[in-house]
Amino acid sequence: MNAPDRFELFLLQDGEKKITEKIFTGLSNTSDFILLKEDHTLGNLIAEHLKQAPHVLLAAYKIAHPNVPEVMIRVQTDGTITPRDALRQTCQTLVQMYFALGREFQKEFALRQFADQGDQGGAGNAGGQGGPY
Amino acid sequence: MLAEIPTMAIDLVQIEDNSTVLADEFIAHRLGMLPLNAEGVENLFYSRDCDCDEYCDRCSVILSLHAKCTGDENMHVSARDLVPSGERISQTLGNPIISDPDGLGPLILKLRPGQEIKLKCIAKKGIAKEHAKWAPSAAIGFEYDPHNKLHHLDLWYEQDAKKEWPPSEYADWEEPPQEGEPFDYDAVPNRFYFNVETAGALPPDAIITEGIKVLQIKLAQMVKDLSEGDGDGNGAYDGPRSPEFGGGGADGWGGGQDPGFTTPYGNGGNQSAWGGAGAGGGTTPYGTTPYGGAGGSSW
Repeated sequence: MNAPDRFELFLLQDGEKKITEKIFTGLSNTSDFILLKEDHTLGNLIAEHLKQAPHVLLAAYKIAHPNVPEVMIRVQTDGTITPRDALRQTCQTLVQMYFALGREFQKEFALRQFADQGDQGGAGNAGGQGGPY
Repeated sequence: MLAEIPTMAIDLVQIEDNSTVLADEFIAHRLGMLPLNAEGVENLFYSRDCDCDEYCDRCSVILSLHAKCTGDENMHVSARDLVPSGERISQTLGNPIISDPDGLGPLILKLRPGQEIKLKCIAKKGIAKEHAKWAPSAAIGFEYDPHNKLHHLDLWYEQDAKKEWPPSEYADWEEPPQEGEPFDYDAVPNRFYFNVETAGALPPDAIITEGIKVLQIKLAQMVKDLSEGDGDGNGAYDGPRSPEFGGGGADGWGGGQDPGFTTPYGNGGNQSAWGGAGAGGGTTPYGTTPYGGAGGSSW
């Protein structure tokens, strides 16, 4: 049978690298990053956050074909930092943001459960909010 | 990200005896759809990563089913009748989820008098990108801006949109718009209401936490990969920076802004990304050639 393995969508094959950087010569300080075996989840997330990052002039992503699990992210910086560093910083910030979000969620969720145990059937008021968002 | 949280699902079915009206593959498909308890699935290996040939106790949970209709009435075989066997990592991992009041679980098939079914199921760990049966959640929805202050929605109406559209259940959580309030062009959505529904494999809060974790792992892996590339030209030189994110934010390149810092490796060829940004390190300021023309930078 010639059916491709089911995990080819998300597992790197032998010798494949997660990220490859290709310098884009059409613009100054611009690089294309090819992420293999990723989808809009990471592409959109990173591109949107790169746009808010300092020194980043341009950030965009595309998935050339919906059947091909490859994300291309193009980053242009103002020259203070390399696109690679911009991308790395963004990822680091995101990891920390998710860390904060996760911690905040668990805290608020535990509080919520505690409060619900305290007064059974009490109408839920705006208590379960929180997190950096 | 709620499509990449690992859960358990029946992936292989070995049928010994099937005299039911349903075809083997039909039953196998039905079995695959059964939600199984996935708490503690992180202690289980993926079968493809495991050392074993096909499956073993460290990468799978075995459930067996043996039923024969001996009475005169049709017999119902449901998820309750699946019996886990073998050594398991925990006593709950891989158990079929049974949440109905009768304690039967989902109906798998029905037997006419005299029919028999005997099979062995191998439940494995997987993610929903491979097959939707591994999806942890039954439904996930989110909404924002319950009062449509951002005008992202254009509500259809006959006479009055306010009267005709029911308010969102989160409408009391946010300030309703004031009468005659000017439209804020710069506003962006900053509060999202998620609705997470599960089939019982994981509790909703665990799905959120796991989802965050999966994303973090992905991003951390990217940070690591991006950092590794820097070291290429310098061989063993790893830099004082920890390749993980733990090092605390910006120090990865911050070192480069220390004017006193000159990288001893700078002349050797490829300067490391942070060394190169320093006044002493690179030959080319980043402004014109972004990649530091100094010597065959590998990236």
